[in-house]
Amino acid sequence: MKTELLRLNDANRRQFMLNTAKTALGVTLLPGISAKMAAAEAVSKSGPGTPGFGKAKHVIYLWMNGGMTHIDTFDPKEGATKGFGTPCRAKGDNIVSLGGYLPKLAANADKLSIIRSMSSKTGVHEAGTYIMKTGYEPRGTIVHPAMGAWGTHFLGRIKDVTLPDSVVVNSGSAYPGAGFFPPATSPVPISNPENGLQNIAPTASDTQFKKRIGLMDEFDTNFRKKFQTEDVKAYTEFYDETLKLMKSEDLKAFDLTQETAETREKYGRNNFGQGCLLARRLVESGVRFVEVQMGGWDMHNTIDNAMTNNGNTLDTAFSALLLDLQSKGLLESTLVILGSEFGRTPDVNENDGRDHYPLAYSTVLAGGGVKGGYAYGSTDKEGRRPADKQTSPSDFLATVGHAMGLPVDEVVMSPSNRPFTVGDKGVPVIDIFA
Amino acid sequence: MKTKPTLLAGILAASMCLSASGADLRIWTNSQGRQVNASFVRIEGENVVLRTADATEHRFPLAVLTAEDQAFAKAAKAEAAPAVSANMPAAEAAKVVDTLVYNGIMSGNEDRVKSNRAPLKGFNPVSTDDHFVRRVYLDIAGRIPNFEEASTFIKSSDRNKRSKLVDMLLETDGAKTHLYNYFAEMLRVKDDFEQDNVRGTPYIGWLKEQIAKNRPWNEMVYDMITATGKMWDKKPDGTYNGAAGYLLRDSGMPLDNLANTLTVFIGTDVACAQCHDHPFADWTQRQFYEMAAFFGGTTTRLGGRDFANGDRGKVLMEEIEKMVAANPELDIRRLRNGIQNYIGANRAAVKDRGASTLKLPHDYKYKDGAPNEMVSPKFVTWSPTDTETPAYKGATDENIRTKFAQWMTHPENPRFAMTIANRLWKRAFGAGVNEPVTNIDDPSNSTNPELLKHLASEMVRVKFNLKEFMRIVYNTRAYNAEVTSENIPMGDKYYFQGPMLRRMSAEQAWDSYMTMVLDKPDTYKAPLQDLYAKSIDLNLDTVDAKTVLIKYDAFRKMAAKERALMGGSLDDVDDMMMMDKKTTRPTTTKKEDVAATDGPGKIISYEGLRLMRAAELPQPAPGGHFLTDFGQSPRNLIDGSTKIGNVPQVLMMMNGKAQKMLTSDESPILRTIEKVRDPSEKVDAMFLSILSRKPSVNEKDTAKRVLGQGEGYANMIWALINTREFMFIQ
Repeated sequence: MKTELLRLNDANRRQFMLNTAKTALGVTLLPGISAKMAAAEAVSKSGPGTPGFGKAKHVIYLWMNGGMTHIDTFDPKEGATKGFGTPCRAKGDNIVSLGGYLPKLAANADKLSIIRSMSSKTGVHEAGTYIMKTGYEPRGTIVHPAMGAWGTHFLGRIKDVTLPDSVVVNSGSAYPGAGFFPPATSPVPISNPENGLQNIAPTASDTQFKKRIGLMDEFDTNFRKKFQTEDVKAYTEFYDETLKLMKSEDLKAFDLTQETAETREKYGRNNFGQGCLLARRLVESGVRFVEVQMGGWDMHNTIDNAMTNNGNTLDTAFSALLLDLQSKGLLESTLVILGSEFGRTPDVNENDGRDHYPLAYSTVLAGGGVKGGYAYGSTDKEGRRPADKQTSPSDFLATVGHAMGLPVDEVVMSPSNRPFTVGDKGVPVIDIFA
Repeated sequence: MKTKPTLLAGILAASMCLSASGADLRIWTNSQGRQVNASFVRIEGENVVLRTADATEHRFPLAVLTAEDQAFAKAAKAEAAPAVSANMPAAEAAKVVDTLVYNGIMSGNEDRVKSNRAPLKGFNPVSTDDHFVRRVYLDIAGRIPNFEEASTFIKSSDRNKRSKLVDMLLETDGAKTHLYNYFAEMLRVKDDFEQDNVRGTPYIGWLKEQIAKNRPWNEMVYDMITATGKMWDKKPDGTYNGAAGYLLRDSGMPLDNLANTLTVFIGTDVACAQCHDHPFADWTQRQFYEMAAFFGGTTTRLGGRDFANGDRGKVLMEEIEKMVAANPELDIRRLRNGIQNYIGANRAAVKDRGASTLKLPHDYKYKDGAPNEMVSPKFVTWSPTDTETPAYKGATDENIRTKFAQWMTHPENPRFAMTIANRLWKRAFGAGVNEPVTNIDDPSNSTNPELLKHLASEMVRVKFNLKEFMRIVYNTRAYNAEVTSENIPMGDKYYFQGPMLRRMSAEQAWDSYMTMVLDKPDTYKAPLQDLYAKSIDLNLDTVDAKTVLIKYDAFRKMAAKERALMGGSLDDVDDMMMMDKKTTRPTTTKKEDVAATDGPGKIISYEGLRLMRAAELPQPAPGGHFLTDFGQSPRNLIDGSTKIGNVPQVLMMMNGKAQKMLTSDESPILRTIEKVRDPSEKVDAMFLSILSRKPSVNEKDTAKRVLGQGEGYANMIWALINTREFMFIQ
């Protein structure tokens, strides 16, 4: 299996893979052109040396699928729109309180920065998800990259491990994933954290597996000799990489059984809790960007019941994750963010639920160089509109990009020659960094 | 489009200084008396291309030459172009195509020499039979040949066996399925329209039906652009109005839909102009809006004014709530959303409301219009004389959307025939004559402009009969050649000395697996395809609350019906293969029950994988499926598939279910091999079943040794399906 390529250093191999991808796609990926665009003066505060820049070596994106109610979680209100829960006092003066369903997080609020003045344009799930992961509105003519792919584009493949750069947990799909970048930059999806990486275990014994590989190479000799094209070589390279990964010690990162029962309990024995634990293991092993999804947030009906369940799951897992990262000394280098496609209506509907509401909602950031016990921006008394410091999904993602050390103002041309930036020209919220 | 200024005077002046030599050179004179010594290359529409002695080509309007020289150029053109007659057989027509391809290869040698590569002598050598049979099955029927199909072809001594195989394959179900996959990807066809309960099922059914009938391409597209009503409306002939799905697919984003329409049907990529003037081509944002205005009077979501008595949804819901409240077993809170969505799906319909109401965007920043200004529909042109052609003059319908369809699908539309011809060429060779196929900005900049023009005129000659067009392409010497084995650097022009080496598409890979598993994979079809259309349809003008409830109940049971059909296992494959061979083996009553439903048979599955061709599976396949890992298009973008490897894909090839299924003791491929007595022929059968070729002497020795050991068959199958030779099409 030894090929010339295995002897190349990382950078060369990466370049090779990139070239391969370009060839196979039949497209050109122009190098990023640093251009000061309209937003340039606004983002001039980003870049090396500015507060928080590049502090987050890893990002864990907790994705609340369905549209997380802001009033019952991170932006509680008293009065007409209060809902069913009673807000609880939060540690960290600036935050004041959290929704009553999140007592553990309230006790750990000194580790959180909350953006309470988020506002977006769309109340449709698909579009809302897309804009909160890419910064762009969905178009029928291009797919924009999510943050993990931007990370690989600017920072290169993670070093010294055979693990992927990005992983998405509790989902079978990586969409929007790599966007217009080479598919190799797409996150590896893990449908179930308990099962880890799909198909990683050979269906045959070690000796038999080796025999099979040997036969494969033997029967393929003539073909590979005849077709020494980039495409064919790339495939052989993928086989080599995959075989390396199958044998790699790094794979243990995907194996939750390596954790004590006590630790596993702390996170909560459910897909989201175990997904958060998996995220911690992956980050610990060097993975750059992990998204952990949690469903059940589309609470049109009986929101009190729904929040009791979901709130507890989130509360348990999120606070366990923060404490665990802290005890492992990873919190400073790991940015944990929480987002959702939109908020939910301040008014409780006739089904005792809340409906889609993009005009005001919250996102959360923790670790990775951000302040603790800090609330950035606020909504009006009833949680209907941002009262100050309105923040768009683009600003939110530019903030994340800034923390990752990405040049958020650098224009990158897609293969179709259209210009794009990390998070669509958002302005990083520098104020949130310590 | 703005016309590009041509500086003939400058070219002529510069060229005068160059030494003139070469047999074909002659003096050309323009109407102002300027002269140039050059040879005739070709005529491209309104332009003539001349080559000066320094081998550079110059392009300028034919009209600037003297009348005498114009006549000379036209005569030279007639001499250069091979003659095609109206009813020419495919084999003859293929020869004409080959002449043009050959000329292109020769003219491409200039570039090769410049980049220090040996010039080509012509086409690649004719491919071997085993390479050809595998390739042509994959290209036309979308799957590898099974053991019997491959060996029969290879053994045959018929001189015309290749043409005959092409003819045969073009008539198969597989060819229809494979062409459907191609268009589904191009048109971003989805099951889930992400609007209430709206599913693309009737659209998908319609598309498959048109392909099965070999409906002329211009008629199909005309239907898609002009369809009115709901997808599940029944037409007088009993078929569904699925064509409406084309516009409904993009309901709520009409500008994106228009950008896609221009891109896929007339090779005009104007996505940029949606937001600003096109930075590289000559498109303006205003022109984009003028084109979009043809759809500016059409809605894809019915509102109160579109119904005879207003939208009765609210009234119906009130009545339904009362009826549900009267039944203590029902809980309205659980039902409300579902019923609302169920009713809402019937608002998804195409309807023309009258004149366009499209306005320029609120932030319009160019001088040729004001923000929020109304735009009138207007066709784009590629050359100033376009408007005099029948495509423009013949588009006269009062309905602006119909008018657009008349113009776009007209045989003389400057790009319509060319775009589909270029696409089908790429489908066979791996590259278009013009790349990208989504943007034929200037045909004269393509790899082989004469070929491109000829393919477009062939498409018109065969009256948009895609099967006939493909028959010509697959009969060419160029297609029958070996694939090119040298690396083709990115961005290099490709001159079609043979097809390119291509990785199988996700669908070809899956369908090839299905061939190894099911032997005749086209026997297995997804059942209940029209149940959705039947159960979702409500006439919102007349329906009453009770009917809504009854139909909603049936709609909800649909999924349960489908589940009941699951549960077939690999053992059933044998049964069905037997039935196929008309043996007397009795069918079980259980199967008869199943056969009595809409579908032709039970769904066979293996560890939750439905075993049928990709076109019969959910569109697109769900995340984590073999197809997804292999790069099937998520159907969000035009031609959105990829052929790039990745770790999960390789893991699946090595350790996944599909692999497990093929190497297990019950592997259907083993049944084929078991039928062969002689051990040495068993090895042949295995190679033919998987790689469509016999093993070499060395391979045979290795294989015999391996088969003598434990797990020998499994190891052999595993090794063969994991070769690059399996994944790439020679």
